[in-house]
Amino acid sequence: MIRHDVIVLGAGLAGMRAAIEAKRAGVDVAVISKLHPTRSHSGAAEGGINAALGNATEDSPESHAFDTVKGSDYLGDQDAIEIFAREAPDDIYELEHMGAIFTRAADGKLAQRPFGAAGAPRTIYSADITGHVLIHVLYEQLVKHDIKVYEEFFATQVVVDGGQCAGVIAWDTQRGGLHAIQANHVILATGGVGRMYYGTTNAFACTGDGMSLAWNAGVALKDMEFLQFHPTTLKSNGVLITEGCRGEGGYLRNKDGDRFMVGDAPNAMELASRDVVSRAEWKEIADGRGVDGCVLLDLTHLGWKKLQSRLPGSRELAMDYAGVDPIQQPIPVRPGAHYMMGGVDCDLWGETRVPGLWAAGEVACISIHGANRLGGNSLMETIVFGRRAGQAAAERVKEQGDTGARIEASVLADEDRRIAGIVGNSEGERPGALREELAKTMYDKAGVYRTEAALAECQDKVLELRERAKTLKIDDHGSIFNTDLTQALELNSLLECADCLVTSALARKESRGAHSRLDFTERDDDTWLKHTLNWNDNGQVRLDYKPVTITKHQPLARSY
Amino acid sequence: MTEIKNAHFTTLKGAYDTEKMDATLRVRRYDPETKKSRFDTFTVTIPVTASVLDALDAIKDIHDGSLSYRKSCRMAVCGSCGMRVDGGAALACKTPMKKFVDAGHTITVSPMGNLPVIKDLVVDMAPFWQKIRAVKPYLDTLDVDVPAKEWRVAPEDGDLIHKESLCILCGCCVSECNSMESDPEFLGPAALAKAYRFIGDSRDKDTRERLRDLNGAHGIWDCTRCYFCNQRCPKHVDPRDAIAKLGAESFKEGFTRDEGAKHAKVFVDSTYKGGYLRETELVPKTIGPINAIKDIPFALQLARAGKIPNPLSPHKAKDNDEVKRLWKLLEKEAKGQPRRATAKHPDAVQGD
Repeated sequence: MIRHDVIVLGAGLAGMRAAIEAKRAGVDVAVISKLHPTRSHSGAAEGGINAALGNATEDSPESHAFDTVKGSDYLGDQDAIEIFAREAPDDIYELEHMGAIFTRAADGKLAQRPFGAAGAPRTIYSADITGHVLIHVLYEQLVKHDIKVYEEFFATQVVVDGGQCAGVIAWDTQRGGLHAIQANHVILATGGVGRMYYGTTNAFACTGDGMSLAWNAGVALKDMEFLQFHPTTLKSNGVLITEGCRGEGGYLRNKDGDRFMVGDAPNAMELASRDVVSRAEWKEIADGRGVDGCVLLDLTHLGWKKLQSRLPGSRELAMDYAGVDPIQQPIPVRPGAHYMMGGVDCDLWGETRVPGLWAAGEVACISIHGANRLGGNSLMETIVFGRRAGQAAAERVKEQGDTGARIEASVLADEDRRIAGIVGNSEGERPGALREELAKTMYDKAGVYRTEAALAECQDKVLELRERAKTLKIDDHGSIFNTDLTQALELNSLLECADCLVTSALARKESRGAHSRLDFTERDDDTWLKHTLNWNDNGQVRLDYKPVTITKHQPLARSY
Repeated sequence: MTEIKNAHFTTLKGAYDTEKMDATLRVRRYDPETKKSRFDTFTVTIPVTASVLDALDAIKDIHDGSLSYRKSCRMAVCGSCGMRVDGGAALACKTPMKKFVDAGHTITVSPMGNLPVIKDLVVDMAPFWQKIRAVKPYLDTLDVDVPAKEWRVAPEDGDLIHKESLCILCGCCVSECNSMESDPEFLGPAALAKAYRFIGDSRDKDTRERLRDLNGAHGIWDCTRCYFCNQRCPKHVDPRDAIAKLGAESFKEGFTRDEGAKHAKVFVDSTYKGGYLRETELVPKTIGPINAIKDIPFALQLARAGKIPNPLSPHKAKDNDEVKRLWKLLEKEAKGQPRRATAKHPDAVQGD
């Protein structure tokens, strides 16, 4: 029997940070990930990571917290945001001590750049490959601490026994075979769910697996209607062009060459909050002022030297995937699905209502980001709350010892039959075809702007797809590296998350942050200043709500 | 029901409009259950902007779901999709299909080299990761007190390891490494670039021990300098350059006993003195006089085949002073380059 004190599911920044903290606390921790750790999507983050170090200009955690609350359109929980902003600086220093290679100012301190909706230059960065640098430094620490990794294991179920977390059942992709991996504590750190949308910045791996696992284990998903669209993504394949481009002085123009942000954010212009910029772009394109379904990100005035030193990766991405060299030509960009503000409902340490089941990073909704996340806050969230979850789970192991929760042999046998059923099936549609149909449905009907009519059509389609996905055509009936199987499992996660998203969005009759209703254009604090909860009611989504924690900042009108 | 203003905003018209093309690919398949391999040929309709990875996805989603390959970010940062395209390693996601289609060329896609194949295009990366682990791939500041805030690193000192820090551990360099083909134990370009990332880091204090290890068997001097790693690296890491830098650092630290190090030293000394490489010196000074004597029969064989120049000719360039001037110029250039420095403890920084 395989058994550990703590299992971390997912090996991106949040997962690895959690595992390192638990290991340092002296408990037996293992990581399970469907990818090798350095393949995780945290590595694709570009622009940077926010902490009020005050290296560039005067700054404070209070100011960071306020910007985050305002950015969240007041849906973020302010107790969580205060912890986040307060603990961020020390976590940055620790990453630096671990060896992170950050861009430096002339005095040798960490450089900080301006980012959207931030009151000070607060974003620490490594040119435009910050996520890459961080994923490698945490992997280095994982090696240093000799932490066991179940590499390319796909978790199919989080098992709850007598109301307590009992561990994970996971499929060994490389060798084939299903394993019960027992642990009283499981930390979900599986990332986001962007692949439910057609135009997305997210990796193929971002399929909401952890959200689905938690939902099926009896934990609510929170605020799933709040899905951030990043304003600058490529049309060809959704690849992200960092907000750092605008932080370094880039302009957004329409087909007439006008800087259209002057209409919606006359002060912040291109550096308004992401929801504001995405809406402005979408409007330009829908009203015929775009170029081939895009607006133009103009960096030509920044000059070769600045582009090459601060944004070399973005330049290469634009050349590889859009065929333009931003030194000479503007990059055509459009909003693309980027980040799930919602996720697994959990407390300030990441624990869910199932004792022993925790969550951290994008899979979780603590909630720092509320209705709209600020650029640079997600990387910081993975580190602060990954560390906290690892620490809290380890402390619980020491206090409590073995809770006695176990994965019974019969549970494993049932799961084995379910997986064998999927692998053995040759009738129906291929997973890829259904995934594309879902992704286009979501992009067309639950995008930047929403209406009752479009969302209702979207919901009908999602429910229909959930039915059609019950039997899938699988060509690969083998057990070794069967990605036909893993894609079928991922499709199921995507569909469940999409159902939660569209059901929540249909119900929320207001506009707040990333959820923008053309039929309810105002924010309605009297009725809707509350978190949405999505419960799994025999496979159907059941809605519920819970209050937002407000400490210092009463909701105000939001303008940039 | 009141009319909704701007209802046309919900769905962007033409969001999926894109020009398409037909592409043909030959894909190497390997079935781990029967242990048999074969080539399959597929023709797929894909956007003109599609990559090799997009083409594989089109095969999997429409033609044959059993095709296996690794993928994730599709933006050349996660390092999953290293594979051979027409015999050379590349990231499938960073290789556009259009140039092949325009040329009417059917590409052949096969798994990376120097690593065991698991299924189709998927290789076992375990030997790769083992070598990364072997170079102690993490910062070691030894027992120096860690500052309360950040280490002070001058921007130009950080630049020293910029290229090595770009590595995504995809394995393309290892796939094409000539030395590894003959010595599977060779640490290889990826692990050695990783090693330089720490040796060149002004915060790392374990330089000497690291270099001592890298000068051992299967270390830096086993590289044949074929430059395939530089050529195939999709991220401009230039691993061979990192290995050269490790050699230079080894000399500075006095690690000159390895045959490879001696070989390099003879090159330098001989060309400085005479403007030419004196090949008669090369062998004895690299492997020692006794081993050189043992190799005489081999040398005679080479001589008979006309592969050894006359050992008695003076081997001195006509204008050796010009060679020396070039040397001095190179030395001066090298002095202008930033050198490996030591990160400053903030307490030691004046006026802070």
